[in-house]
Amino acid sequence: MFFADEVEKRRHAMPTIVACFKWVIDEAYIRRSSSGELDFSSVDYKISEYDRNAIEEAVRLKEIHGGNVITVTVGVPEATKGVKDALSRGSDQAYFIADASFRNLESSQTAAILAEVIRSRIVSYDLIICGEGSSDLYAQQVGARLAEHLEIPCISFVQKLSMEGGRLIAERKVEQYTEITATPLPALVTVLPEINSPRIPGVKDTLTASKKPTVTIKKDELSPIGEARLQTTGISASRMDRTCEKFGTEAAELTRFVESLRKKGAIR
Amino acid sequence: MMDFKLTEEQELIRKNMREFAAKYVDPIAVEIDENSRHPAELFKKLAEGDWLGIPIPIEYGGAGADYLTHTVAVEELSRSCASTGFTVSIHVGIASMLILLFGNEEQKKKYLIPLAKGQNLGAFVLTEPGAGTDVMAATTTAILDGNDYVINGTKTFTSNGPTGGTYLVFAWTDKAAGRKGMSAFVIPRETPGMKAGEHFKKMGLRSSQTSEMVFKDCRVPKENLLGKEGAGLVMAMAGFDHGRVGIAAQSVGILQAALDESIRYSKERVQFGAPIARQQAISWMIANMATDLSAARLLTYHAAWLKDQKQPFSKEASMAKLFAAEAAMRHTIKAVQIQGGYGYIKGAKVERLMRDAKITEIYEGTSEAQRMVISGNVLR
Repeated sequence: MFFADEVEKRRHAMPTIVACFKWVIDEAYIRRSSSGELDFSSVDYKISEYDRNAIEEAVRLKEIHGGNVITVTVGVPEATKGVKDALSRGSDQAYFIADASFRNLESSQTAAILAEVIRSRIVSYDLIICGEGSSDLYAQQVGARLAEHLEIPCISFVQKLSMEGGRLIAERKVEQYTEITATPLPALVTVLPEINSPRIPGVKDTLTASKKPTVTIKKDELSPIGEARLQTTGISASRMDRTCEKFGTEAAELTRFVESLRKKGAIR
Repeated sequence: MMDFKLTEEQELIRKNMREFAAKYVDPIAVEIDENSRHPAELFKKLAEGDWLGIPIPIEYGGAGADYLTHTVAVEELSRSCASTGFTVSIHVGIASMLILLFGNEEQKKKYLIPLAKGQNLGAFVLTEPGAGTDVMAATTTAILDGNDYVINGTKTFTSNGPTGGTYLVFAWTDKAAGRKGMSAFVIPRETPGMKAGEHFKKMGLRSSQTSEMVFKDCRVPKENLLGKEGAGLVMAMAGFDHGRVGIAAQSVGILQAALDESIRYSKERVQFGAPIARQQAISWMIANMATDLSAARLLTYHAAWLKDQKQPFSKEASMAKLFAAEAAMRHTIKAVQIQGGYGYIKGAKVERLMRDAKITEIYEGTSEAQRMVISGNVLR
């Protein structure tokens, strides 16, 4: 049986683990102008939060089982800092698919690009780990779509992961309960922040990152990607209006206070 | 062409230190200040991340980065806790750098490697009760007796005194030779005859450990002499040049924290129906703070950059230290003023910043001593 053969083949081999990440705007630097518009003029970038968990989990599994970790990102050419950041977190090698037009890719395009690179350049892999969703858009699409392109199983909402005898055991966090799922490799998982606490790279980790191999792939080396179908037509800060209501300690005052909350729709 | 950009590595290292400080330093900063406690557990973590030997070459146990990278790390660390930032600064910038610059191969292997790996802390033992800015008034002596030097005297205000592992001690080997009569020795802790006193209770910088050091017939083998006999003062001055860049960075960190706190508070605090940030009295204080911070940071990075370019940086280190320290003092007073009564209560960050800032105008050369160095340079 195909699955049994696969499991047997991977039982003793050291795994190749791919961790995908997105280089996103660090929301701490987004400011709101007095007119309520978002000001992106002095933003810095970071590896998307849950993707840091994905990289950490890949490195953690490598530390247990051996093998190697490859990080992959699709982004603008300035994201070289993100590639170094990923390498400083313990991955051995990076694939950086870069183009100035990749600033606002939609999930389907990102997944298609990742799939092509993984299928054609990495070829032999055991596990792909993605963050459950990105810090900026949180569409939760790339992981699932990538698994579909590669025709491998996908497990989402993973909060615990282990590899045993060529199989993957994943604990999923689903509403009121947890679900334990097992699958033969290769497989893809999307992870939650509960899965681990990402390490803070040491100084040497950062300094040696750029000495690790990075394969940079340009847009024209890939099949043409389709047009984006989603368009961001506007973006604005959420607003919170504050009002003040003073009241005394007597019963009548409290009644009046509750009444005014009801009138404003704060309570029912 | 001028390039004011840090490298990607330096930016990442800054970011990582910010995250490290938020995770491990911020939660204990108030407690270690209150209790004047040295956080040994924190220094173990700093050592694991190679933060205690950034500019020391890899072959001597360090991270092999440049001095600017170390400077940026001290700044970010000091933004959370000036005591911790300073302990790192004196450990790396003076103790370790002096062994790197003047030690022989054997001394580097024996003393520098453990220092750079953060296995013990370095201390700089120069100041005496009667000899502060006037270094020549020191009385501690080191007399050659057979193959040993015998050291006698009392030192004071020794940072990392109670917690140090490796001490750089300055003493007269030939008092009559004047400026060429002082020598430096590398002395490991537990050497008989050397004793650290009790940790002083201080106004600020309370978790940085400071004490007297008493030397009573302390015998030190000849091979512990650092550099040449009589070169002590030259080495001490070189140590100060490096250390002052660190104090400038520490002051910049304090200033940045004062600005962060002032912006946060003045936007939240409502008086007369509006956030106090809208009052010109407050917003101009913040404008001055931000401007001096920017100037202090540029002076500091410039001094570190000169050091990395192997150019003279003594004057620039003094200028950076003088300006950054005085700006830190001036503006932490304002930061407390902005928060009013709330800023005067223990536990308020600005209260600690103001107490911590004062020492930057005093140690590693007072502001007056910096003006002596700078005027000596420009009036030459």
